Amino acid sequence: MELNFVSVDGNSKNYKIAIGILAGITLLGLICFGISYFKGHYLFGSSNVIPWGMPIVLAIYFIGLSAGSLILSTLVYVFGQEKYKPIGRMAVLLAIVLIFGAMISIAVDLGRPENFWRLFMFFYWNNMTSMFAINGILYGGYFVISIAYMGIILSGSKVWMKRWGILAIGWASLVHMGTGAIFGFMAAREAWFSPIKPLEFLTAAITSGVALLIVVLVLTMKFTGRDLRKDMVTSLSRLLTIFICVLALLIFLDKMTHLYAPERAAVLYSLTGKYSWIFWCLQIGLVIIVPLAILFNKKLKSIKWILVASLSVVVGVFFERFFLVIPQAAFPQQYYPGHIEGVYGAIGSFALTPVEMGMSLGIATTLGLLFMLGLKFMKALPEKTAEELAAAASKAAPPKTEEAVKTDIPAGTDGTPPVENKPS
Amino acid sequence: MERWGMVIDLDKCTGCQECTIACKEENNVPHGSPEEQRRRQDPFWHKVIAASEGEYPTANIEMVPMPCMHCDNPACVQVCPCKATYRRNDGIVMQNFRRCIGCKYCMVACPYGARAYNYKEQEDVEYQRIDPPLRRDLIGCWPFPHRAHGMVEKCTFCFHRIEQALMEGKQIGTEVIPACVEACPAHARTFGDLDDPDSEVSKLLSNRTSIRLREAMGTKPKVYYLTK
Repeated sequence: MELNFVSVDGNSKNYKIAIGILAGITLLGLICFGISYFKGHYLFGSSNVIPWGMPIVLAIYFIGLSAGSLILSTLVYVFGQEKYKPIGRMAVLLAIVLIFGAMISIAVDLGRPENFWRLFMFFYWNNMTSMFAINGILYGGYFVISIAYMGIILSGSKVWMKRWGILAIGWASLVHMGTGAIFGFMAAREAWFSPIKPLEFLTAAITSGVALLIVVLVLTMKFTGRDLRKDMVTSLSRLLTIFICVLALLIFLDKMTHLYAPERAAVLYSLTGKYSWIFWCLQIGLVIIVPLAILFNKKLKSIKWILVASLSVVVGVFFERFFLVIPQAAFPQQYYPGHIEGVYGAIGSFALTPVEMGMSLGIATTLGLLFMLGLKFMKALPEKTAEELAAAASKAAPPKTEEAVKTDIPAGTDGTPPVENKPS
Repeated sequence: MERWGMVIDLDKCTGCQECTIACKEENNVPHGSPEEQRRRQDPFWHKVIAASEGEYPTANIEMVPMPCMHCDNPACVQVCPCKATYRRNDGIVMQNFRRCIGCKYCMVACPYGARAYNYKEQEDVEYQRIDPPLRRDLIGCWPFPHRAHGMVEKCTFCFHRIEQALMEGKQIGTEVIPACVEACPAHARTFGDLDDPDSEVSKLLSNRTSIRLREAMGTKPKVYYLTK
């Protein structure tokens, strides 16, 4: 099977409007970051009880999506699942954009973001017993590896694709397990402290990665007027089902180990307390119950329903991260036996402040912007087939026809001739 | 080598918060509004918590003053990615503000809530010091007059007093003590060298029953509490 990849043309009105809106919100996020940098973090919702807020939620969410989609791209380039090939490049592009987003999320959450470079002074100014410093190696390496991976894929060397893909898949798993370890190794935070956290993070990463890939695949194909092959989406949805089941098992085990041990107050609070609805409705509901109900239902096999299930997972995994970082940290620590009176024994509060929300929104739109620019300047989309082109030409108005034809010509550097290839 | 430690007699403590105020004055820790206190966004290097047990009429409330525990096996030092927090040879756990990036990981890891984040720019003059200005050429920027926001702060056992006393050849624990120890009206706190068998802290620990907070965490704190 031969398949050519193209970039989007980026001259259509919709593309320009989308870029404009995303850039505007990104600018807003940048302004919010500036305010928080000069005024201090009291503008955020975080406090001495709940030290981390929305940017960290976003960071671990993006890392999860990134690792998940990179692992998926290796299905094509390492495990030779040729049917996924049309989305291989897009998955790698997403992985790069998302890890970049995760790193900027972490950077803007630092109190002293100008000292961000200190995280990358490995073994010299870094304390290597810190999970953060170890993750600095993992994230930095991951960024470099995925960019090199993209280069190799673009250059088309099959052998190196496979070799580098194996490195990438291993590294991506490490990245996500390391992220889980940031939380799972904290003995002082009862609700986080769990050896299963790294595995749970990895599974959640792959689950959300598959789901995001389905969403991006369907939407991109739709908006750029390409034909979607249903068998591909269906087999991806089967993968999604498996990972959701594994994730459900891991979450169950994690909660059970905490509930079985006598020291269960913090986890009990998170499961039955004021914010437990986030766990039951948004995490368990959206990540496990809704998608499984759709995916196991034989009547709901259309692409639209699979898209709904995937969206539900993508949104739900976000709330899983949210629940982990914010409500689970809110339970006060037992400094001394007995009931601690006053503010030191109270459940921590977290306010969703406008500055923090604006900044988080800005980070998310930055990623959208980078992804759209990536589609324009990188040949990540599968080429249109002759039939699709003919359909587009007959359907569209004269200016659109011109665009559709232009899209077909690869403007890149890999020297592939501008020929139309039929997909297998 | 000295190993500085503190002994707090819970029997004598009345919960007057004088130590908290003295710490704020000595180290110029920013004050906060009641709203910030409620949201837990104001920095405290030292706090006094009240732990209650039982219901009226058989209730008991224990006042527990909590400085940084200056653990021998500190969780914060283990997790700091930038070596900003470190344990000195004399056992004091310090925070280097030039290295701190404000990632707040140490606040997550500390089992005692001893670390506080500086959430906003400090107003220039907060507490008027009555004592003559310190010898900055000898002790550097401590106790610091002005600090930037966005960093994690913590108790230093008033190490600037210890440093100056060592230079001047004074006796630490009797002549020179941290601000909270000095301020305590009930003489509930004692400061000294845990490795010196003649120091007052060592004698107190050998005579009375003592506990350390959350010993199950394995952090080996150097702040001991004498029980009632």
